[in-house]
Amino acid sequence: MSPRGFILPTVVLIAPAIHSSVVIAEEPRASMSERHRALFHEHCLSCHNEEKAKGKFRVDNLPFTITDIETAEKWQKVLNALNSGEMPPEEEEQPDSVAKTDFLADLADVMVVARKELSDQKGVITMRRLNRREYRNTLRELLGVEINVSELPTDGGTGGFDTVGSNLFMSGNQFEQYQSLGREALEEAFAWQAAAAEKPHLRYEAETTTPVVTKFVAYQIDARERAKEWVKAVEEAAAKPENAEIVARLRSESKNDALFRRSWEKIPGAPSPRSFGFDKKGENDADLANDSLGAGWLPYHQYYLEQPALDRGAWLGTQTRHPAELNVNYIELLVPFNWPVGDYVVRVRAAAAADAPPERRFLDFGIHARTGKVLATHEITGTLESPQLIEIPLTLTRGHLTRENRMLFVREKGSWDTNEEGGRKRAEAVKRNGIGPELTLWVDWIEVERIPNATKPLPPGIAALAIPLDDKSPPPDAAELRAALERFATEAFRGTAPSSDYLDRLMRLHEVRLKAGDKPGMALKETLAVVLASPMFLYLAEPVVEEKSRSLTAEELATRLSYFLWSAPPDGALRDLAKSGALLQPDVLAAETGRLLDDPRSAGFTRAFVHQWLGLDRIDFFEVNRALYPRFDDGTKVAARNEIFETFEHLLRGNGSLGNLLKSDYVVINRVLAHYYGIEGVAGHGYEKVTLPAGSPRGGLLGMAAIQFMGGNGDHTSPVERGTWVLRKLLNDPPPPGPANVPQISRLADRVLTSRERVLAHQEDAQCASCHRKIDPIGFGLENFDAAGQWRTEDSYAAVDAAGKPDPKTKMTWTIDPAAAFHKGPAFADYFELRDIIAGRVDDFGRGFSMALVEYALGRPCGFSDEPLLDGIVEQAGKKEFAVREFIHALVESESFRTK
Amino acid sequence: MKTRRHFLQSSTAVVALPVLESFGFRRFASAAAPVTPPKRLVFLGFGWGITESSWYPDITTPGPDYTLPDGLKPLERHKADFSVVQGLWNKYSNEGHWGSTMWLTGANRYSQPGQSFHNSVSADQVAAARLGMETRFGSLQLTGDESGDPSGHGPGLSLAWDISGKPLGGQKGPVEAFQRLFSKDTTPIETQRAMLAQKRSVLDTVLENARSLQGGLNRTDKAKLEEYFQGIRDIETRLGKDEQWIGVPQPEAPLDEPKPGMTGREEIKLMYDIMIAAMQTDSTRVLTYRQPVGTLMKSLDLKVHPHDMSHYHSTLGEKLDASQRRDLAQSELLAGFIDKLKSTAEADGSSLFDHVALAYGSNIRTGHELSNCPTILTGRGAGLKLGHNIVAPKDTPLCNAWLSLLHGVGVEVERHGDSSGVLKEILA
Repeated sequence: MSPRGFILPTVVLIAPAIHSSVVIAEEPRASMSERHRALFHEHCLSCHNEEKAKGKFRVDNLPFTITDIETAEKWQKVLNALNSGEMPPEEEEQPDSVAKTDFLADLADVMVVARKELSDQKGVITMRRLNRREYRNTLRELLGVEINVSELPTDGGTGGFDTVGSNLFMSGNQFEQYQSLGREALEEAFAWQAAAAEKPHLRYEAETTTPVVTKFVAYQIDARERAKEWVKAVEEAAAKPENAEIVARLRSESKNDALFRRSWEKIPGAPSPRSFGFDKKGENDADLANDSLGAGWLPYHQYYLEQPALDRGAWLGTQTRHPAELNVNYIELLVPFNWPVGDYVVRVRAAAAADAPPERRFLDFGIHARTGKVLATHEITGTLESPQLIEIPLTLTRGHLTRENRMLFVREKGSWDTNEEGGRKRAEAVKRNGIGPELTLWVDWIEVERIPNATKPLPPGIAALAIPLDDKSPPPDAAELRAALERFATEAFRGTAPSSDYLDRLMRLHEVRLKAGDKPGMALKETLAVVLASPMFLYLAEPVVEEKSRSLTAEELATRLSYFLWSAPPDGALRDLAKSGALLQPDVLAAETGRLLDDPRSAGFTRAFVHQWLGLDRIDFFEVNRALYPRFDDGTKVAARNEIFETFEHLLRGNGSLGNLLKSDYVVINRVLAHYYGIEGVAGHGYEKVTLPAGSPRGGLLGMAAIQFMGGNGDHTSPVERGTWVLRKLLNDPPPPGPANVPQISRLADRVLTSRERVLAHQEDAQCASCHRKIDPIGFGLENFDAAGQWRTEDSYAAVDAAGKPDPKTKMTWTIDPAAAFHKGPAFADYFELRDIIAGRVDDFGRGFSMALVEYALGRPCGFSDEPLLDGIVEQAGKKEFAVREFIHALVESESFRTK
Repeated sequence: MKTRRHFLQSSTAVVALPVLESFGFRRFASAAAPVTPPKRLVFLGFGWGITESSWYPDITTPGPDYTLPDGLKPLERHKADFSVVQGLWNKYSNEGHWGSTMWLTGANRYSQPGQSFHNSVSADQVAAARLGMETRFGSLQLTGDESGDPSGHGPGLSLAWDISGKPLGGQKGPVEAFQRLFSKDTTPIETQRAMLAQKRSVLDTVLENARSLQGGLNRTDKAKLEEYFQGIRDIETRLGKDEQWIGVPQPEAPLDEPKPGMTGREEIKLMYDIMIAAMQTDSTRVLTYRQPVGTLMKSLDLKVHPHDMSHYHSTLGEKLDASQRRDLAQSELLAGFIDKLKSTAEADGSSLFDHVALAYGSNIRTGHELSNCPTILTGRGAGLKLGHNIVAPKDTPLCNAWLSLLHGVGVEVERHGDSSGVLKEILA
């Protein structure tokens, strides 16, 4: 097998030198194979030659090897003309379809190689500013507070990682945003310090709901009786012979009896609803009477009151009335507006009914039930006799100003994620039992308490100041203040001391603020905010005098390492090792790499890196169709996304093989997913490793619901999305980007076909087949996963009618046929064989992973000049069975990582 | 040590002295007789393109006697006052998901060796350098309030790219846009001056820090840090402008402050109203708006993913339906905008419509199709031929149209992007 696996290289690759220390020869790689010259000569040259140069375009002198941008542009033009079907002109003889497909496939690949080669930075790392995440984390490490930085522009829009310097811009607007965010962070930090010792506590007893429901039921019964009386009186008036004419007219104008009664005033002798106690406060009283007649959801409310333990708690049901009128759907707790910023803990004491089915035992926690997101989901294993205590951490900031972000809630998972979805579930239950969703979860109380931060060590930035922050203490004298500013700036600049001129200017600024009437605390914050918008804080600089590269200093190495593995500045321990120079010793560097990976702050790396490496932003691009996939509710989606991170973090903790992401005999899941996947054995309430039963399709990325969910659109699966993702992310054999101007296929639109038949249309046109013959077969092999990642054996399709709705009469159902073959590669009978083939290519997967690591860690695109580095990393990791940490160690030890 | 003044002198930033006779000043500082209203340039960009089968007029019926296709039906009442231009493209564009990144620039992302992304100045900023001198805001960049890129705009922070091809940020959503234009500064003039001095003092401080950092850097890193310097220079320019406008009362907002949380169709409508207000008060003369498509679809209750919608060809059905309903909604909104342009009077009795040049379109036609970019031109401000189905030769540079618009509003640059000349077909 060739080193790139069984897919024959369609690009003429010149084998790179193997020795990692030798700079490889600058030999061009982007070459069209000579085997295409015949087609090129036959179909292009007769018009686009020196003499004719049709369209002012010549190809007779077009080199088959691309070494400059001009040549690349010409080939791009050739590719575009062929893709759009514009060339060869219709009246000319057309090339053989297979030859054209191969030509296009190779040219598309060659263009990718050429672009990559021409944009190779040859190892040069551009100085860069902190990206949005790093900026947030850096403020957090310096000041101990986390602020919302979403107003800053997102980074990395051009497709690379958000650490790539050439994509990280700066502008005047942004400077002002840094200044205001810095100010906000300081306000927040000062507020935390001011409230350090506070520990307010509030508990809401859920049985508060009981008398409300009792009263509401009594009201509903009484109002229904009064409404009946009123209706009777109106009907009696209407029945009078002298009213016959007016009544006939009113009835003909009204769609139903309720609307008819709305016109009661026009019927002589009809009594007012007000006289029966219906006062709609300025609106039509008849509406209230009519509504009361229906006594909406009265049986459900009565059913509620039949439940046990109402004297000690409340049950979580569905939404029946407007929540302002009556709410039996969720329990709320408002964190009082005068409570300070800080870390809080939310506790919920809850139980599940003994007869609650397994899927009805999950509790969602979030902020603001109507508009907010679900933040956490817990399985309730407690009983009414022995309820369970759930603890959820919560941080309140100065940004949490309104009810929308201070109103905590708990409700049954998925019971009312949206009005549409909640209503659908409710209707289903009514159909089943005539009343509504069974009550399965019970809450005793919900409480919130602040965790005092007085005993915690001061954040380094605050500690460095060491002067009073409030306006009560006497302000520091000039010398004290200057020293404090110097200490703070040095801390903010990650150990680099500011110039004396800079400090002078800060002092002047402070003076000006005081003179302008600022109180000392405010003047100090304004001055410090300027430090947090200064280049030495915002940029990760590694100065070099000459254009030549040099080894990093120990301090620079510490910064590069911590921004790689934490997306945050070095801590005291790492800075100390840098100061003493010890960090330059390989064993110390390796030990620190391990320590940083063990630290919780490494989530800054794992979450951001995995998200970008695997392209997980697609998870948020669309909503699942809940009518088709009711089980993939908000809580499940959150859990499914986290499975990807948790699995990677599990591997990183135990230094497991990267190959486990391709196939494994275990999963790392929580109770929500255990239920979704139908897997037993999760003991605790977090994510844990569970061994899979034999024959499970789970285990590895392809078995994860979120990954398969991304390979569709929430409605249908997309074999193309899935095939492309596998080629890009797992096999390191990315197809060229979707080409521009290829005519779309629409001739099959109104036909009822299987997905496979529809996608196979790609194979008929050379422009499509050139890429899709590689992509689509892989997608076919994954068709047993539905659009929400559940296993299925059948699929169906219905043509849509003129109104855009599926027409049931045309519905066709078929058994999924996952058998297919890799283009010029092995065949597979089903998903399991496909997965085995992919799992056999861990070296390709490891190489793609290494490329992503290099780009992420070094902050520049990974180019061909990085081949020796990649070879080295993959080789070193390969010796340790591709253990995840070995990749990271190999990269950190490499010369590239330690060189500017 | 260099002072800030040195810095300003050495920079390319030119601060115009306030022209007291200028229209803008008179508009709300004196009651002098009306002068000729200024020209305005507006660009409205939507990411994912349109439905090609039902949006373009038939190319075999060029000229004024064409049948309005279904997708443009809501514009019927303005048929004599806009032109559809066909056959335009940006020849260097190869990115099927970038509907706005190079729309106004025509740049080649690969033109710089050793770089995988490059862009150049956008047409609106070329205009702003000239038309922006006399107004409170040189230009206004508005953008939809969306995260991720559900609208197919591609990289960028707005439609605008500055003179070095760096993305320019803008106001996200109606509330930000309104506050930027109309939030009242009631601070006494002396305090305002003091605050300006403080802001300059802040800039001086960070520049000092930048200079000590710059000392040790190599060429590429210096170039990177130059962005920071440029950012500070831009603020200097803005402060210079603020200084001249001290004491000039801010215009009364011709509309109420929008409520937060407006998205989709409502957001676009409000943004159009705010753009009208910005022109009415002569707060700026160059406006761009990168319209949201994702939230527009949500507000129309269309559940198809926007990207899927633009690939309606293989299944048609609900995707095609969504695509066409999106077209209708966008056309209705544009028709409403034109109504307001026509009904908003200038001081001399003419209307805003008489002095504006407006381009509406996308770099994407549909799917990944980047040729025949959908383009509508309207407004009588640039001497354009209106009321026509204009069919330009296939693959005419879109930048030819931009060059013509620039000339039409009095910005006589020689070329823009990959332009090969003005687009004669669109000139009246």
